[in-house]
Amino acid sequence: MNDQFLNGLRREPAPAFARQLKSRLHALDGPAVTEARSPMWRWLATAASVAALALAFTFPAVRTAAEAFLDYFRVVNFAGVAFDPQRMAQLWSSSSVDLSTLIGQQVTPAAPPSPPVAYSTVDEASAAAQMPLHAPSWMAPGFTLSSIEVRGEHEFSVQGNTEKLQSVLDALGITDVSVPTALDGQTVSIQIPPVARLVYGDGHDQITLTQSRSPVIALPAGVDVASLAEIGLRLLGLDRAEAYRLAQSVDWRSTLLVPVPATTATFHQVEVQSGTGLEIEIGGAFNGARGGSLVLWSNDNVVYALGGPVRATDALQIAQSVQ
Amino acid sequence: MTPETDLPAELLSQSAAAAPDWDAVYAEQLPKVYNFFRYRLRDDSVAEDLTATTFEKAWRSRESYRRDVAGFATWLLAIARNVATDHVRGRRVHAPLEDAEAVRASGTPEEDNARESDGDRLRALLAQLPDRERELISLKYGAGATNRAIAKLTGLSESNVGTIVHRVVEALRRDW
Repeated sequence: MNDQFLNGLRREPAPAFARQLKSRLHALDGPAVTEARSPMWRWLATAASVAALALAFTFPAVRTAAEAFLDYFRVVNFAGVAFDPQRMAQLWSSSSVDLSTLIGQQVTPAAPPSPPVAYSTVDEASAAAQMPLHAPSWMAPGFTLSSIEVRGEHEFSVQGNTEKLQSVLDALGITDVSVPTALDGQTVSIQIPPVARLVYGDGHDQITLTQSRSPVIALPAGVDVASLAEIGLRLLGLDRAEAYRLAQSVDWRSTLLVPVPATTATFHQVEVQSGTGLEIEIGGAFNGARGGSLVLWSNDNVVYALGGPVRATDALQIAQSVQ
Repeated sequence: MTPETDLPAELLSQSAAAAPDWDAVYAEQLPKVYNFFRYRLRDDSVAEDLTATTFEKAWRSRESYRRDVAGFATWLLAIARNVATDHVRGRRVHAPLEDAEAVRASGTPEEDNARESDGDRLRALLAQLPDRERELISLKYGAGATNRAIAKLTGLSESNVGTIVHRVVEALRRDW
């Protein structure tokens, strides 16, 4: 027995493990309006990644100075867009493109997120969140407030790289979309205000109310957001006509588009607290053994997400009671 | 090699100048951390879990090592040590079963022959070592750290590390 023998027990990590861990690590770098703790949140994180990809590669090269950021995005409305996850999986499996890695390479944290901090009262958490937190006055039977946490404000920027985006489109076989070459090298800054989570538990399941002031995305002036959104929609697997129609019909300055897997979830607009929100009902096959619901809405520049393993009617009733 | 010298020159040069290529750092460090756990804990699936835990703990703060990638590599192993210690503490209740497996692994020649490989046999022997000695062997041969790096991580002197590792290897050779 010698050093060579003792070293011989080393093994390379399984490629699948290495790849998955890498993706998870890069996902930690992204915006964290919600935690990726359940299949539902993981899907939302994936959807957000897809949307971020379009942003990541698509901004002009000429001006990078902060004064170029003349256009601002704030979440006022939510809209759902159905996509076929199998079609998307087929699209992506046909290439070796690693979405998380590509995004990670383009993202620079200006102020990294701090870990969430637990608070014992809503008042304390409100002070930490720098905004008055709201809580539901009605909750599903058996659920009580079990924890409150606030994650601090953070910022990151995304560097545009049209060459990379074009290579992704090429690798995916999307040849009927061209990336504007003038959009290379510009930077998009994204500011995520403090995010508060009120978690209600019944000893087994959790219902979570997440709230935050609207994220602010500063875009270089003159960006044709619709054309960029069209690229993002194509990356979701939508066909050319569908992507174009949607891209042209949505107000991208104020609407957060939420991709919804059509085979496992349904969505519809709902009235929440005198505004319009989006309710997504997730089937059991998607959310493990049980289904769940998610309601997204904004009110007075605050964005809310209420989700958990409850029926859509209960989720909406909880959302309506937030005050 | 120390974790420092394990890093390719290009990564070190990057660390002194621009932002490091974290994907390259990840590719470099993942096998070291993973094999540290494999030597330390015997179970490959647990090694994967704890490797993931280690990287997740370190990853969010890696930007603070933007100009000191070598420092990040050492820090990563320090986290791995703590993660392993927590894991070992948490499963103390299962120690009798682990001991039984280790005894069986060094049983009759027929039983030994039934084992899949020399690697399994070595890991069975490692499982019988006291925690501190097994940790040193895991750092030395799993993570590929030098005695100096191990000394820095454990608080032992460099010569003490060398002496203990030499003694353990001799013992393993006798039991082989």
